[in-house]
Amino acid sequence: MSGLKAKYYFILPIIFFYLFVTIYPFLYMLYISFFDYNLARGGIQRFVGIMNYLQAFYDPVARGSISFTAFITVTGVIVETLLALILALLVVGIKGESLLRLSFLIPMTIPMAVSGMIWRMLYNTTYGPVNYFLSFFGIKRISWMGDPIYAPIAILIMDIWQWTPFLFLLFYAGLKNIPQVYLEAAMIDGASGWQLTKSIRIPMIKDLLMIGVLLRSIDLLKLFDSIYMITGGGPGTTTYTFSYLIYQVGFITGINLGYASALSVILLLVIILLTTLLIRALKVERLLGGG
Amino acid sequence: MAGKTSNVLQGIRYVILLFFSIFFLFPVYWMVITAFKTSDKWFTWPPSFIPWPITLDSFIGAGEVYRTASLREVVPYLVNSLAVSLITSALTVALATLTAYSISRFRTGGMRLLSWILSMRMLPPIAVGVPIYVVFHSLGILNTWMALVLVYTVFTSSFGVWVLVSFFNDIPRELDEAAYIDGCDPFQAFVRIILPISLPGIIAIFVISFAFSWGEFLLALLLTYDKYAQTLPVFIGRYITGFQIAWGPIAASGLVAMLPATILTFLALRYLISGLTLGAVRG
Repeated sequence: MSGLKAKYYFILPIIFFYLFVTIYPFLYMLYISFFDYNLARGGIQRFVGIMNYLQAFYDPVARGSISFTAFITVTGVIVETLLALILALLVVGIKGESLLRLSFLIPMTIPMAVSGMIWRMLYNTTYGPVNYFLSFFGIKRISWMGDPIYAPIAILIMDIWQWTPFLFLLFYAGLKNIPQVYLEAAMIDGASGWQLTKSIRIPMIKDLLMIGVLLRSIDLLKLFDSIYMITGGGPGTTTYTFSYLIYQVGFITGINLGYASALSVILLLVIILLTTLLIRALKVERLLGGG
Repeated sequence: MAGKTSNVLQGIRYVILLFFSIFFLFPVYWMVITAFKTSDKWFTWPPSFIPWPITLDSFIGAGEVYRTASLREVVPYLVNSLAVSLITSALTVALATLTAYSISRFRTGGMRLLSWILSMRMLPPIAVGVPIYVVFHSLGILNTWMALVLVYTVFTSSFGVWVLVSFFNDIPRELDEAAYIDGCDPFQAFVRIILPISLPGIIAIFVISFAFSWGEFLLALLLTYDKYAQTLPVFIGRYITGFQIAWGPIAASGLVAMLPATILTFLALRYLISGLTLGAVRG
């Protein structure tokens, strides 16, 4: 076929593009991760072997950021997935479905910097609506952004607000796609609403649940924007996520790009592992199936 | 069956759904009313939930005391956001249509190339940002539109290929073959036959790429540093984390930043969902 050679010309642009903007920088990053490298002091300083990698495990701030990232990822994924599933199951077939659905989707369309700005106002200790609503229950003003107990909760709530909608959309679309005949057949056999949900609806969107969990895990492991906007990693370094740590180390406090590179390599490896799982869950080979 | 219990259950169902609908909507409502409040209503206890009287001061920067973020200040960042988003989207369409066509029609590169391209979208921005900062620093292109366009296109072109491969798969191959019989080569067949039919898919990835670039924060924060190239989200981020911030103007610029992203995302929602699930679910 005449396409035999031409087909490679079509993909050349993207290959060159990725080589220049990702592969080459990544190799370079791997290289400088073995050096004490400070841009402010100009160029490569000193070969330090795997010291930067070891530092990631001994540095108490790095260890703190790893456990905070793990905490926010695990709790965020669990709460968001369950809440999105419940909302999707409840909303299908109810009167006013399209209006409710619309209201559930809006947060995911808002740029993260804007939502961070909104929540920063809401969480304001002295004038914020959150503390105002809590005052009805006799709860005294909480310092959402400055208290080591509440700051992680503040981050979590904002993430739930912003990204439950995304999972909701995924599950809702899946539920809508279940052929009506399945449900009708089960109803004729006398299945109750709960049985329909347990043995038809949830199994039918099992793959989507998996995809949703993986997508959110990958995103939460990279969490940065809301940390920058709401807590700035504080109080102290309590709400440092791994990405925020790299930002601080590489660009703000340390300006140590060698250490930042080592941390980035670690993050990259974790994400690549999860992405491999995701691509398997997505059954990518389907796309090549038609031939 | 007891109609009473099912009525009660139905009631509970509505209560839960309404509660969460308020939870999701209230923060947006708060930003919108804050943007239209007069300056004496910004900081009050109890907070004021009804924006009356309405004023446009926060948008036009008339409140002399708080001129921190009136729209006039925002314009350069708005221009940067627009330019970067438009150029990124155009570049994405060019790269993604070519690649997706080749993969869809000739299975070029097989699973390995496809997985590689798809995984680009998942890359952690900070891990891209660190080495790119060093490379762009030495190339002298930090703080330019081009710096942002280049990194954004990594993410958007990957997503574009996700969406377009399944889109092209749905176009009958007989159309290509008819074009070959008429003497077209693959590139002509692509330009004359496939591109025109794929217009909805192409518009969708343009829109999704635009919304992504419009809202991106971390890479813009790392790679740009003043109004020559900085985008709207970074401007907002910089102001809100400052001390004693005027709420009205910042809410106004937030509204300006939010509207295009929200409208465009809703327009492309169908493609967003089928792109994310690789066509397993059609929204």
